[in-house]
Amino acid sequence: METSFLIEKGILILVIWGITMLIALYSTFGERVVAAYFQDRRGPNRAGPGGLLQPLADGVKMFTKEDFIPNTPNKWLFIFGPALFMTTALLTSSVLPWGDKLNIFGYEVSLFVADINVAILFILGVISIGVYGIMIGGWASNNKFALLGAVRASSQMISYEVAMGLSIIALLMLSGTLSVREIAAQQGGDFLGISGMKWNIFYQPLGFLIFLVCAFAETNRTPFDLPECEAELIGGYHTEYSSMKLGFFLFAEYISMFISSAIIATLYFGGYNYPGVNWVADHIGPNIATILGVVVLFAKIIFFIFFYMWVRWTLPRFRYDQLMNLGWKILIPLAIANIIITGTAILLLN
Amino acid sequence: MTFYIFLFLAALAVFCGLMTVTSRNPVHSVIFLIGCFFAIAGHYLLLNAQFLAVVHIIVYAGAIMVLFLFTLMMMNLNEASEGHKPALARISAVVSAGLLLFILIAALKKTEPFAPPLTIDHSIGLVKALGNTLLNEYLLPFEFVSILLLSSMVGAVLIAKRDKSPKPELE
Amino acid sequence: MNALIYTSALGIICLLAEIFNLRKLIIPIAIAGLLAILGTVALDWNADNSIREAALYNMLRADSFSLTFSGLLISLTVLLLMLSTDFYKTEQAKISDYIALILFILAGSLAMASFGNLAMLFLGIEVLSISLYIMAGANKHDKRSNEAGMKYFLMGSFASGLLLFGIALVYGETGSFDIVEIRDFIATHQPTSMLYVGVGLMLMALLFKTGAAPFHYWAPDVYEGAPMFHTAILMTVAKIGAFAAFYRLFSACFIPVMMPFGWVLSIVVALTITVGNLSALVQDSFKRMLALSGVSNAGYLMIAIVTLYGKTDNAVFYYSLAYGMALITAFTIAILVYRSSETESFSGFNGLAKRHPFIAASLTIAMLSLAGIPPFAGFFGKYYIFSEAVRNGRMWLVIIATINSIIGVYYYLKVVFAMYLKESDSNAAPLQIPVIYSVVIAITLTVILAVGLFPSTVLGWL
Repeated sequence: METSFLIEKGILILVIWGITMLIALYSTFGERVVAAYFQDRRGPNRAGPGGLLQPLADGVKMFTKEDFIPNTPNKWLFIFGPALFMTTALLTSSVLPWGDKLNIFGYEVSLFVADINVAILFILGVISIGVYGIMIGGWASNNKFALLGAVRASSQMISYEVAMGLSIIALLMLSGTLSVREIAAQQGGDFLGISGMKWNIFYQPLGFLIFLVCAFAETNRTPFDLPECEAELIGGYHTEYSSMKLGFFLFAEYISMFISSAIIATLYFGGYNYPGVNWVADHIGPNIATILGVVVLFAKIIFFIFFYMWVRWTLPRFRYDQLMNLGWKILIPLAIANIIITGTAILLLN
Repeated sequence: MTFYIFLFLAALAVFCGLMTVTSRNPVHSVIFLIGCFFAIAGHYLLLNAQFLAVVHIIVYAGAIMVLFLFTLMMMNLNEASEGHKPALARISAVVSAGLLLFILIAALKKTEPFAPPLTIDHSIGLVKALGNTLLNEYLLPFEFVSILLLSSMVGAVLIAKRDKSPKPELE
Repeated sequence: MNALIYTSALGIICLLAEIFNLRKLIIPIAIAGLLAILGTVALDWNADNSIREAALYNMLRADSFSLTFSGLLISLTVLLLMLSTDFYKTEQAKISDYIALILFILAGSLAMASFGNLAMLFLGIEVLSISLYIMAGANKHDKRSNEAGMKYFLMGSFASGLLLFGIALVYGETGSFDIVEIRDFIATHQPTSMLYVGVGLMLMALLFKTGAAPFHYWAPDVYEGAPMFHTAILMTVAKIGAFAAFYRLFSACFIPVMMPFGWVLSIVVALTITVGNLSALVQDSFKRMLALSGVSNAGYLMIAIVTLYGKTDNAVFYYSLAYGMALITAFTIAILVYRSSETESFSGFNGLAKRHPFIAASLTIAMLSLAGIPPFAGFFGKYYIFSEAVRNGRMWLVIIATINSIIGVYYYLKVVFAMYLKESDSNAAPLQIPVIYSVVIAITLTVILAVGLFPSTVLGWL
């Protein structure tokens, strides 16, 4: 393995990690601003200009609070839970393409960390083990509300993983590859004569809807935030957590929101592709086109993060049986129907 | 490099396996078993069987063990609820497992290394090769697996379905 | 050859029938479908199947062994389905699930009887077993049935694990799952210890699945705890399927490596026959007696595997046919008796001969056939297997087996004595005999008598 390769990937990992953290940090701020807007109030405006330093203030508060570990026989697992949750939230970003190739002084840099050829399955795998952080943390808390939250989280995430996987299968049938980079690159084709607009959303609208609903459930966001619903379970799985361990749980939620927005943007909304990408590459320069692509990707991601918040402050929470009914009796049959429709279409059109 | 990774993973798998069996708390057992699955997935990766590795994680660590953990948490099992096993059963279990280990090691030690074909196809564990094999040569078993899954699904529904009459139905 | 695919499809059709509210038609559809499938098996008999085998990459083989056993298994299932019409009368809500599971059990056993690849063997065993776990535990509110399902499930999964481990080791040695390629590899190479360990593990798993001692502990409890009709499935289709797989695997692949296992297997056989027989001797329950006699019957059949070198497949088929038919007769009558007397012990049969001479005579014939009394089919089954064993120099095994058959006569006739010599309770209700049950009894009796009187016709098939 060449050193340059290691350095390149190392820098990329650090940059992506930094951006992830930054976006997650300001998502917390954004959440409060959006909430304030929806509720017709001002929101955070004291720390820094326009309240911009609010996340930092929150961070300082989290770090300096008393780190309390309840009386539990499983202290190690109590610490392990939030750590695992954070790790799995960060893992997925390694297989997502953040842009096309960048040419720096004749040295070609691809803007992704790892192009493994089972990237989609890798994402599903990471999502599926993401639940362990919550389960272990909730169980080790030695508190019945935490346990109930953990149990709810696990059953909810397992149920929605099935529909999520099935909705992705229809997408894979179209693209014929499991590599996210190739899926993103394929969406740079022509659609109705516009280059860079062959987005999968136009081919898989139903699959996208199912995926979106499942993504909400997997990130435990409203209207699927039953694992931590404060009205019934105090705080759900993180009832007993305080200080930065609680911070990890809360922060990881924003990270997974960012990551799932990135996945949605990459799989269904063209990733780093934008209308006229070829024209920009030909007339202004490939590097500019690539950088513009990265900017466009992040614009899409930020839109979806906003969408998450929009939904949160608009829709009420589901009841638990409604949640299960939606997952098993509506989404899974719909996803299977979507697979059949896609298969038939592929068979007839090719 | 690969050799050291192999050693590490093998040691991890054996350690986790031992801890799975010896842990007194069932939840700890499950967590160690998950660790063992990850070590084995690592072995698959070393063999360039990426698909198998990821699917192993999704199916075993991601689905089956979550349900295990779920059940254990719901029933709130801990050390106290583990039944005491008679000494005779323990001794005989240890002896027979030890004998099996002995036989396996003896047999594998005597076996000459299986001569691999000279041209190793490195893509053999990748999705494309696997898909082609499954849907050509192994099409019938592949489809028959669906019967297996269907029958277990029907069975699960049959057992879970609520009865109208509380008394025994058959016979 | 395609029977497996058709049977699976038929099972799915039965599941779909519930959606279209065709519950009443499910059993007739299943029976008609199975008869049609039996027809396709008969058509395969004279056809040249090599092209279709190659099209499936030899996953299934349509040789005479697999076709005759497929025919037998399908016929047994048809008879069982005829019984099921009445048995599931009170269970209309679940009928499509039960019938589909029975068809899946058949599909699994068909795969086991005709596999040409270890992958199909394993899948067949798993499809069969998983459906059977559910069938054994079908009575949710009965503790014994729960115990049966749970016990069978835990033990069975362990055995499946052993089987997989064995297959993996055999694959590691030979580099193939195909039974013909494995056979050729073993014939041309010096077998190593890894192969022996693999074969040994597979042997253990199959001994478990056929319920042979010392892996038989689950059998009596499971057979006794399961609902009566499901016990009949377990003891006929499942057992014969498992045995066909056992015999097929070892006769097709592993003859050259059987030497070290010869003595072990002989001892296992002697143990199985003796343990099954002696335990059956002291039972009060008719069902448990049949269950334990099933263990010893597995032992008699396994003599054929000990003496693989001869041409024993004829004898194995003949024995399976006789055993299956006699057991179905016995279970048909046992279900009827249980329904009126609500007891599984022999006392339920007291004085049956006076009330129902035809039923009593049928059960007597079935019992005599199981015990191996000439001129019924069971006698010739034992006779052919024993004579093959003698020809292969296993005299001591045959002596043990013969002694045990004589012991067996005692407990098989216990129920006959109860029927003919004991007085019934004065208030014993007469049996309600549905027409379809009489038809089943008539068919099985005809087969037992015909095959017993003209054994050479069946023996010439293979």
